[in-house]
Amino acid sequence: MEKLLRNDGVPMIKILLEKELRDIISSTKFAITFGAAAILVILSFYVGIRNYEESMREFEAARAVNANNVAALTDWRQVQHKLFRKPQPLQVLVSGVTNDIGRTTEVRPQGELTLINSRYNVDPLFAVFRFLDLTFVVIIVFSLFAILFGYDAINGEKESGTLKLILSNSVSRADVVLSKLLGSFLALVVPLLVPILVGCLMLIGFGIPMSGTEWTQLGLVIVAGLLCFGAFLMLSIMISASVTRSSASFLLSLVIWIFSVLIIPKGAVLVAAQAVDVPSLDGVEAQKRKFTLQQFDQRFQKMGEFLRADITRDETWSQRFAAFQDSLNKSFETEREEYFRKLNEDWRNKKDRQEQWAFSMARVSPTAVFQIAAMSLANTDVSLKRRYLEDLDRYQEGYAEFLRKKTGSSGGMHIVMRFSGQQGAQEEERKPLNPTELPEFTERGRTLGETLSASLADLGLLAVLNILFFVGAFIRFLRFDVR
Amino acid sequence: MKQQSIIEAEGLTKVYEDGHCALDHASFGVQPGEVFCLLGGNGAGKTTAINIFLGFLPQTEGTARINGVDVRTDPLEAKKHVAYLSDVVMLYPNFTARQNLDFFARLGGKQNLSREQYYSVLQQVGLQEKAYEQKLKGFSKGMRQKVGLAIAIIKEAPAIILDEPTSGLDPKAANEFQSMILHLRSKGRAILMSTHDIFRAKEVADTVGIMNEGKMLAIKSRKELEHEDLEKLYLNYIHGKVAA
Repeated sequence: MEKLLRNDGVPMIKILLEKELRDIISSTKFAITFGAAAILVILSFYVGIRNYEESMREFEAARAVNANNVAALTDWRQVQHKLFRKPQPLQVLVSGVTNDIGRTTEVRPQGELTLINSRYNVDPLFAVFRFLDLTFVVIIVFSLFAILFGYDAINGEKESGTLKLILSNSVSRADVVLSKLLGSFLALVVPLLVPILVGCLMLIGFGIPMSGTEWTQLGLVIVAGLLCFGAFLMLSIMISASVTRSSASFLLSLVIWIFSVLIIPKGAVLVAAQAVDVPSLDGVEAQKRKFTLQQFDQRFQKMGEFLRADITRDETWSQRFAAFQDSLNKSFETEREEYFRKLNEDWRNKKDRQEQWAFSMARVSPTAVFQIAAMSLANTDVSLKRRYLEDLDRYQEGYAEFLRKKTGSSGGMHIVMRFSGQQGAQEEERKPLNPTELPEFTERGRTLGETLSASLADLGLLAVLNILFFVGAFIRFLRFDVR
Repeated sequence: MKQQSIIEAEGLTKVYEDGHCALDHASFGVQPGEVFCLLGGNGAGKTTAINIFLGFLPQTEGTARINGVDVRTDPLEAKKHVAYLSDVVMLYPNFTARQNLDFFARLGGKQNLSREQYYSVLQQVGLQEKAYEQKLKGFSKGMRQKVGLAIAIIKEAPAIILDEPTSGLDPKAANEFQSMILHLRSKGRAILMSTHDIFRAKEVADTVGIMNEGKMLAIKSRKELEHEDLEKLYLNYIHGKVAA
């Protein structure tokens, strides 16, 4: 402790920290990079908010069209019910896979449900250039920002002679490096929080409906972003304390940045694809189609057999025919569901293994760790589609039950036969359907606890990377040749 | 009666891991009010000796003391008694001359100095008044060197170490700098200065230590040099024409 204090009791680190903060903030480099980062952060919030509003408008319009279509019908069996994935407020900042997966589902009481009409599918231009969101800003801009300020933190001071001048005083090396690490972090992080805060105020100002849980999630996304920034800053300071010339440390930091941002995440996906063979979705779909066609033939064969065997067209015939169709549907559906489930499960298991491989390898890169953590926190990660399809499956059961109550049939493929003179038929046709009777679809989503447990490991990893690089920079500087 | 040396080297030796001997049992002392010039070419061992005094390099053998404090055993205490100026004085380009001075003064233990006190030191080293509150990014090397010297002065340390301080300065700036060194000597500071400039050494030094390949070949006082041609003497020593 004695060594950390000067004779007059002023901690040496305080003097060094003040210098560090003032030196960074008064530099032209800071003014330019901070200005660019601030504009991009605010722009990312603005673009995200506009996209969310646009998505909400499309969602509401699509729902209204669906309700109108239902209201125009008189028989629930004729309904082609569509569900639309509701945009989530956090996709404003962390779009994740939300624009890649479909937004519309045609709900049938039986059979496999799929998502169609993804945002990128509808607007291919966005698929090319992607959206500007906060993750993009953190991954590309913040990490570069960190490198620009860290690469010459130590060896730059050596080149300018100030390091020798500082250490010619009664100052310990520990004080110098601690002030460098903490000072750089504080001088850069605090100003970056300003545009982020402005962005948060914009969310409120534009009336984006954020729950308390979503604000907590957003807070954690920001923490993850700052940890990612910190990891790059500490890493580049560590490199600066390991390499004599600042030009060399800049080059090395840049190479690491390129690997971290561009090569490792994409390389991990390629390696995982080689390591774990997953059948293509087209192949799986072809198998499903083939099976369905086989069932189709069998179904008509069995119907023909029924029609040939039961030739009495009495009053109860239509009921017998409906009951036969129901039992036929049930048996085919069970058989098909089982086959599809096996196919899907096999594909999913392989895909999971491939994803695990890819994510594990990509986690070498701080930016990839941040991206995984941010997507988990915003619930826009790769499991979004699976979770949504599970919700759809649950809804499908309720929808089938609803149709059974309304039509007396569990749905599926039906041949509707009407006989002239049936009483009440015309009356039924005149009565329009009430779309509000349709069961309400609710996305279960994740609880805060589930979200945290999905992202905690990555947040922890980012913290560990910060500590590792911090300790690395500290140790490297203690051995640094200041001559 | 001879005073105790403020800057003192005893058998100072530095041998690198590859076996290269950068400093070979060099011994010398600098007393208060004395300018001691280490004179030698590149690789003579001048900067190695200075680096050892400042704790930037550990010696292999021997002792280096500043104001009686061993720099190896208590470097932080030793550095309280020394001010340093190197040939590369870029300082902080985004700070003004006064802000640079303020930072290093506080590091040197001078807290709460007034703006006038800083201006007074900057005036002492001959910096133009209009430059006091200007950022250093537009300063010439001579101007930066003046600020560097102001940093060394404001610490009020009894020992001052200058590593090639006039290297790269124009004649006028070098001359002004020389006057400042002499002024500091008159204030009783012990000044150790490395240089390869024979003319400068003869002008400013009370004692000249001639060095070559890590060895201290000779130590000559101003009185001894009065009747000698220092350039000839230096060349004779480094070519081995005079026994060390």
